[in-house]
Amino acid sequence: MAYPYRHDREVRVMSEAFGDPAARTLEGWKARGGYQGIARALEIGRAATVDEVKASGLRGRGGAGFPTGVKWSFMPREQNPGRPHYLLCNADESEPGTFKDREIIRWTPHQLVEGCLIGAYAIGAAHCYIYLRGEFFEATGVLAQALEEAYAAGLAGPDVLGSGVQIDLTLHVGAGAYICGEETGLMNSLEGRRGEPRIKPPFPAAAGAFGMPTTINNVETLAAVPGILRHGGEWYRQWGTEKSPGTKLFCVSGHVSRPGNYELPLGFPMMDLIEDVCGGIPGGKALKAVIPGGSSVPIMSADECESCELCYEGVAAAGSMLGCASVIVMDETADIVKQVRRMADFYAHESCGQCTPCREGTAWASRILRRIEEGRGKPDDLDTLLQISDQMTGTTICVLSDSLAAPIVSAIEKFRDEFLALIRRGERVGAA
Amino acid sequence: MSEAPFRNPGWAGNTGEFDLAEADVRGVVASDGPPADGGHPSVAPSLPYMLAAKDPAAPLFEGPHLERFEKIKSRYPTARAALLPALNLAQELRGFLSPETMDEVAALLGLSNAYVRGVATFYTMYNKRPVGRFLVQVCTNISCNLRGAEDVLAAFLAHAGTELGETSEDGTFTVVEAECLAACGFPTCVQINSRYFEDVGPADVPGIVDRLQGELQSGAAV
Ligand SMILES: Cc1cc2nc3c(=O)[nH]c(=O)nc-3n(C[C@H](O)[C@H](O)[C@H](O)COP(=O)(O)O)c2cc1C
Ligand code: SF4
Ligand code: FES
Repeated sequence: MAYPYRHDREVRVMSEAFGDPAARTLEGWKARGGYQGIARALEIGRAATVDEVKASGLRGRGGAGFPTGVKWSFMPREQNPGRPHYLLCNADESEPGTFKDREIIRWTPHQLVEGCLIGAYAIGAAHCYIYLRGEFFEATGVLAQALEEAYAAGLAGPDVLGSGVQIDLTLHVGAGAYICGEETGLMNSLEGRRGEPRIKPPFPAAAGAFGMPTTINNVETLAAVPGILRHGGEWYRQWGTEKSPGTKLFCVSGHVSRPGNYELPLGFPMMDLIEDVCGGIPGGKALKAVIPGGSSVPIMSADECESCELCYEGVAAAGSMLGCASVIVMDETADIVKQVRRMADFYAHESCGQCTPCREGTAWASRILRRIEEGRGKPDDLDTLLQISDQMTGTTICVLSDSLAAPIVSAIEKFRDEFLALIRRGERVGAA
Repeated sequence: MSEAPFRNPGWAGNTGEFDLAEADVRGVVASDGPPADGGHPSVAPSLPYMLAAKDPAAPLFEGPHLERFEKIKSRYPTARAALLPALNLAQELRGFLSPETMDEVAALLGLSNAYVRGVATFYTMYNKRPVGRFLVQVCTNISCNLRGAEDVLAAFLAHAGTELGETSEDGTFTVVEAECLAACGFPTCVQINSRYFEDVGPADVPGIVDRLQGELQSGAAV
């Protein structure tokens, strides 16, 4: 069951229980086959667990799409005394347009708990911190109950399923900062510091949380793992494409009749998602633009959406990025300049301030876009915006800076006339 | 497509394909909430800390709250890592973090006052000054914005009788603009204390404000 809508073309591997409160309990989850994945992992051992996830081809669902099994294999094979390994579950979901992790947590908390257990076991971690977005009170409460159940049943703690393996899980709640979703920002925040990203290297697998070998994974990534362990890596490959195996939750928002989360095989055609699965654009209006992967990826024009397939390589071929598959749909009435300005406001608010191009660039972009929106733009404003964006790209500690440059540059490129119309209107008003 | 033919109760799941009760959607936040001592240590750092009842003079970490604080500390290899959970707990008890509260937390964890203030001011969820009994946070980010979030914000300001970022005269409502709340498919999303209200349109706002007033009177507000 997808939630709050469902569609026949969905392949509900991970989201089958969305909307069913019974699946939140340990009993209900076990009845659906829960905790067989961790049992199998413990049986086949650590190395084989990593291999199974490698074989599935699962790619990180947090945005970058890095192969999960490969990431796990970067961790030191043996634990050195005094150097514990950590698994961090990134549940800070705050990329505008993205709303899948919250649904996974609040409908299938045990799916995530099991995924964390398997991930921790695979990388040799005795402790996994789940870093939850501070605003998620409801979801956190649901997950807390599941965790208490898991401890009481001996699924988590000093002796997981009687195997002698220790895996502790701890919920850690943030306090409102988008940048804490960035992996090293999250680590600093977990350690009780400002959530400022760290310069890499060292990479987390060498020195991450508390200076120890660390792996960080997104909620959806870890939630996909129990099924893979239970049914095998090949099973997962029956869906998706060669380069993007499996199913993915697509978060569709904006101008569609039936917005929501839909679990679909990767490679699903974008226009089918919008027109068929999501019931099209309300009022029969025309499609203007789509942001396919959350606010930090290039905007696509309606033409570019036409034959786009929703997989990592498909969206890249269309000039954007799949990101976390947060598809924001805009119809002909959408005001591109205003929406890009709103994004600039967001990034200016969320910049952690460590890097000058980001701290200054996001603030300047926000001010210039607002003046264009309000009809006070100057003829060379677009050049200035492009120049700022250029200086914001590839020059900073993390990619938050690049994440604003991408929508600005693509919007100016594809919707230049809208910017120019506002600027010209301002000139006429000024002359009158 | 036409407008949905049902009344919006404030949470997603009322699409006609689903008919879920509020408790089904919200989990514990809709019930009496979790225990003050934090429950199992694994979840002690996680409890809701935006309750309607706020007491700026509440003692920090006594009785069950001290138990919770000790459980929190036991989960991390460093005392510093307990800082955010400790600040969360302080805000739950007092409603906001005054400079004095930050200093108290600093002393409890053996950190310097300047350090704790530097961390606390980094995070938007820490209220640096008192807020109303209900903190109303209206998402105006892109997905909600495309579906009319600014009108919802205006409706809340009008019905709560306050200005953006200010608290209504009776101390009941503070209304602010929020960044994306990760409920973009259910626009507009509004967070009120610990709860999300979803699919909110301007016409739903008077009903929500009435509901909150009623909860305050009956003592059921969370
Ligand atoms: C500014 C910024 C914000 C991010 N926010 C999130 C987030 O909220 N949730 C998330 O899972 N990943 C987020 N990421 C990606 C993480 O850094 C990291 O790549 C991801 O958690 C790795 O998990 P995966 O390999 O399972 O995808 C963000 C990255 C950046 C640069
Ligand atoms: S790019 Fe921006 S958010 Fe990232 S570290 Fe630099 S200043 Fe902070
Ligand atoms: S844009 Fe409003 S909740 Fe995401």
